[in-house]
Amino acid sequence: MTQVRFAGRVPEQELMTSGHLACPGCAAPLAMRLVLKALGPNTIVVMPASCWSIIAGPWPQSSLRVPLYHTAFETGAATASGIRAALDVRGESDTTVMVWAGDGGTFDIGIQALSGAAELNEDILYVCYDNEAYMNTGIQRSSATPWGAWTTTTPEDHPEASPKKDMLAIMAAHRIPYLATATVAYPLDLIEKVHKAHAVRGTRFLHILSPCPPGWKYADEETIQLARMAVGCRVFPLVEVEAGRSWRVTFDPPPEPVGPYLHKQGRFRHLTEQHEVYIQREVDARWEMIQQRVRESGGAPSDWEPAAGIDVGPDARQSGPSSQSSTAETAEEAASHPSNR
Amino acid sequence: MGNHAVSWGARLSRVEVISAYPITPQTQVVEELSEMCADGRLDARFIKVESEHSAMAACIGASAAGARAFTATSSQGLALMHEMLHWAANGRHPVVMANINRAMGPGWNIWTDQSDSLSQRDTGWVQLYCETNQEVLDTTILGFKLAETLDLPVMLVLDAFYLSHTAEPVDVPDQEMVDAFLPPRQARYKLDVRDPRAFGALVKPDAYMEMRWQLQEAMLRAPAVLEEIEAEWAQRCGRRYGAVEPYRTEGAELLLVTSGTVTSTARFVVDQLREGGEAVGLIKVKMFRPFPTEALRAAVAGAARVAVLDRNLSPGRGGIFAEELRAALYAGNGFRRPEVFGYVVGLGGRDVTPEVIQELVRRTWRAKGPEREDLWVGLNL
Amino acid sequence: MAVSSTSTLVSKTGSWKYIRPIYQDRVAPCNEACPVGIDVEGYLNLLREDRLDEACELLVRENPMPAITGRVCHHPCELSCNRRQFDEAVSVHAIERVLGDRVLEMSVERPHPTSCASVGIVGSGPAGLACAYHAARLGYAVTVFEAAPEPGGMLRAGIPEYRLPRAVLDKQIAWLRAHGITIQCGARVGTDIPWWSLLGAFDAVFLAIGAQESKALGVPGEKLAGVESGLDFLKQVNAGARPSLGQRAVIVGGGNTAMDCARTALRLGAEATVLYRRTRAEMPAIPEEIDEAEREGVRFVFLAAPIRLLSSDGRVTGIECQRMELGAPDASGRRAPVPVKGARFSLPADTVFSAIGESVQLESLPAEIERISSGLLTGEYQETTRAAVFAGGDMVQQPRTVADALGAGKRAAIGIDQYLRLISGRPLEGPGTDALRYGRSGNLSITRWRGDDPVARTSPVNEVLRYEDLNIHHFVHAPRRADGRLEVAESRRGFGEVNLGLSGDAALEEARRCFNCGVCNRCDLCLVFCPDAAISRADGGYEVAMEYCKGCGVCAEECPRGAIVMTREGL
Repeated sequence: MTQVRFAGRVPEQELMTSGHLACPGCAAPLAMRLVLKALGPNTIVVMPASCWSIIAGPWPQSSLRVPLYHTAFETGAATASGIRAALDVRGESDTTVMVWAGDGGTFDIGIQALSGAAELNEDILYVCYDNEAYMNTGIQRSSATPWGAWTTTTPEDHPEASPKKDMLAIMAAHRIPYLATATVAYPLDLIEKVHKAHAVRGTRFLHILSPCPPGWKYADEETIQLARMAVGCRVFPLVEVEAGRSWRVTFDPPPEPVGPYLHKQGRFRHLTEQHEVYIQREVDARWEMIQQRVRESGGAPSDWEPAAGIDVGPDARQSGPSSQSSTAETAEEAASHPSNR
Repeated sequence: MGNHAVSWGARLSRVEVISAYPITPQTQVVEELSEMCADGRLDARFIKVESEHSAMAACIGASAAGARAFTATSSQGLALMHEMLHWAANGRHPVVMANINRAMGPGWNIWTDQSDSLSQRDTGWVQLYCETNQEVLDTTILGFKLAETLDLPVMLVLDAFYLSHTAEPVDVPDQEMVDAFLPPRQARYKLDVRDPRAFGALVKPDAYMEMRWQLQEAMLRAPAVLEEIEAEWAQRCGRRYGAVEPYRTEGAELLLVTSGTVTSTARFVVDQLREGGEAVGLIKVKMFRPFPTEALRAAVAGAARVAVLDRNLSPGRGGIFAEELRAALYAGNGFRRPEVFGYVVGLGGRDVTPEVIQELVRRTWRAKGPEREDLWVGLNL
Repeated sequence: MAVSSTSTLVSKTGSWKYIRPIYQDRVAPCNEACPVGIDVEGYLNLLREDRLDEACELLVRENPMPAITGRVCHHPCELSCNRRQFDEAVSVHAIERVLGDRVLEMSVERPHPTSCASVGIVGSGPAGLACAYHAARLGYAVTVFEAAPEPGGMLRAGIPEYRLPRAVLDKQIAWLRAHGITIQCGARVGTDIPWWSLLGAFDAVFLAIGAQESKALGVPGEKLAGVESGLDFLKQVNAGARPSLGQRAVIVGGGNTAMDCARTALRLGAEATVLYRRTRAEMPAIPEEIDEAEREGVRFVFLAAPIRLLSSDGRVTGIECQRMELGAPDASGRRAPVPVKGARFSLPADTVFSAIGESVQLESLPAEIERISSGLLTGEYQETTRAAVFAGGDMVQQPRTVADALGAGKRAAIGIDQYLRLISGRPLEGPGTDALRYGRSGNLSITRWRGDDPVARTSPVNEVLRYEDLNIHHFVHAPRRADGRLEVAESRRGFGEVNLGLSGDAALEEARRCFNCGVCNRCDLCLVFCPDAAISRADGGYEVAMEYCKGCGVCAEECPRGAIVMTREGL
């Protein structure tokens, strides 16, 4: 294969309509569009407060061709678990319940409900589209904002001083059946991950990097380019983790330095060379940590089974990687260009 | 015990999704329901969420998807839910919740006090206060029927310990009868992949008021609907309660107004005083929201003085039942306005004994008028 | 409760934009670079979908002999290929060869005559045959006059069989004849057929007599036995002769003729040494030909020019050479060779071939056709100063390559069509020359002239798509497939074809390496990347729903081949 072609490789059905209110070039609607293509119409979306609450259109419009419940900021995972229970009661366990939350509703105000649901292994697909700040309210920092970035609450004189919260590690620690990072520059990788998530039960978590033109300060048309660069310079590695123990990098391009990625964004324009050196070091360290996890995984995921002899009752969901068929194949797959699949 | 009366009421109502977080003195409600789910007496999903805020969110989610949803809480937990109480009402989700009236901290206080539920009076929930365990069980079932008829969330309220942890004999209705009375829920709108819609999107100034008007209209229909429902309930099992219950009010010059278990004590005192020849009566308020304005105006019409017993406080104002009654009596024409004495009693679980009530009756007779809007009883200063 | 009752399709976000995307076909650099003027990108795009026959048809619209050009063309298309800057150029010549061979197996539909006018062509080399072919397809009666016993011109006379097998050439000529073209051999115009009769018998005439006279070395000893014109030598061998050259042959010159002579000499059992007055870098021969010659064992002596030929008994025995060095650039732009004072040496030689260029014999032509120093004066469409007379190919222009000749023949056919329509009272408001040209400097497209382009184009513009306009992130490195070749020992043994090309499947795989610069090939990237789901498939291409498109520009930025541009037009 010498060039990327999506013809015939991306599900055709559109479950998101045009006319939504996203900024031109925003990655968030693209992420939704791709995820819904992968999931199909048998999906209910729960949407805590974020840019998408507005993107979806004001009443009486909706940009989604699937049911959508707008909910309060911190309640994504909790509301979803209620919907899941109601669907299960009426025997509709095949309907996917998907939370669609921003980084604020996931890393910060929503983390409690998310952790609660994940610990219970609630059968929901939780998708966080991450634009690295509270963009809907006007670009204030969140714990997903990367170190050194400008936001309205971390102005250039005193930019973001905390490193980005490692949500990957946090969710892995919950040992949910499946979790992965993805981004809009690699649609086929993203779609495949959604399919893998869809094939298992329990809490599944997808973290999608979603570049934001006004918040990151770059030209509209470069959204895909930025997502690609984020992956290329390892600021946002494409990874999947099964049962919290089996780590795999799904795309490992030849590494690029972080400099060009940072220089393309106005939110980093105040950084000095020293800052960039620091950022590079941190990116390298995190990559090394991920590689370490991958090495420790040794390929096959662990099997999560409830302890023998304990009846966990009707509330227990069929969960854990023992119920999925895809892992054995993917563990064998060599890392290659994600669009090659 | 009262808490189990709630559980049994929920079971008989065939709730489908329960989502709750433990807090004293609610715990037995959910523990009993857990056991019922585990042993199959109740076919429901029980979500062991990590906070009350999430409990209400989960109930809302379940209700939005068409299920019959239930939760229970108290005091701090109810306060934590506050945002989502608004959400349930504006969302028109017929969730039923039992709130065990408990005082708000700090200092920690687990005993009975109505400030928790009354602090939520503006959230759009129907509030029904119970006096006995029988009433608790019945009101749980009545609550679902009311909620689902009006698409409004309903809070049934019972006193901590005096009801929650006190055992009383209760007549448990047949499942068959309850099934006939309360059929499975048919949601008007629900999350359904066969009819995909968005719920709760941005509503601009040009339409939000109309939504709130609709909510208000539904609320104002509640008393009439409750009466209809209770009539049917009375037909089936002989019991009814009413939004407002007058007790020995004929010819009364002085009327007590109470809610919750204080009502039982007040009945006893009224009997005593009547025996002594005093023209004293009692009005029990069951339905606090919507406020039963017409019924109360009619009920207090004959009396010269009204003594409202508030086991709650709105700081900067006073007892809440008294305040709402005064407001109800202020507007309108063609009825008599008695003097309203608002007594703040029994906060934080302090006992309201017959002696306390007798004393405040005497005070009410003797006083020229209320020296202040909130008359505190039994303070040790 | 706020429950939705409609979709956001009622919200026409298209009003937000201040620029909009348009699908705009631009010209691939290979098309511009091709002297023949072939839609190379076009047929490679068809091959992506395995549409072989359509690819062949598109190719032969512009090129009458791809089986030949695939073998002998100097392929400037590959030098301009944008993929060169990514990894390696697409092997266009190998693909063209596969298609060319397939074309020769396809049946020919004889073109319908569209007029009574007739065209006479002098010379059946590539220029003459191309003009004949295109004129026949335009519906004219065509007759070609060839002085030699067999048609083909330089293709038969000058190019050795190990580069262009006889069988392929004969099959190609037969294929051309099947188009209704009459070729009369053994008929020399000017002697056998007087000029006035030619000019009287035909409504338009195309002269393509080539450049057949070898330039003399201009040194003493030129008339010695064993000293020959390289071109004459090749003609003999191509006609079947296998002369003995003695032990050592020296070939003077640096062009393709010199390479052909050298490699032919090897096959006749002599050692071959090429003598060239500049260095390898300045040699005008096709680089692959130089490599092949070297591989086969040809020796090269650079920076040396002959001063005189040494002899014994009237037979050449060697060449005395002057050592040269490179000085300032001359008119050709290359650094001129300058003698190194006092540095001389001798090379032994049993045979010496002069291959330093050919000149044109114009003496026999009517005087009214104006000459200039380099040949005849011709215009854009190869018209001469004499009405109805056109000229092209080696006799008129540089560089002297098969491809340039084919290109000239085509231009002449267009010019002849314009002229004949004019004089018959049916002038055609066809596209102007700029519109016919690929890019700014390419050859003309006769398909554009005919106006029957089978390829659906979206708002085509005549701009060439540069490497910077591509989005190379959507391409994956893949090596270029190398042509199969005979082993050296085997190739030197005889005159069998040395370059074995690619198999059909390998050629299709190689065609998939083409970036399709500037022309949409329906990869769906724009459709998938649009954040507003505003792009959908329509009519063999794509359609942008302008009432929703916000003008973000992601589609244009991500299009791998630069087929989308953002514009303010229409807003």
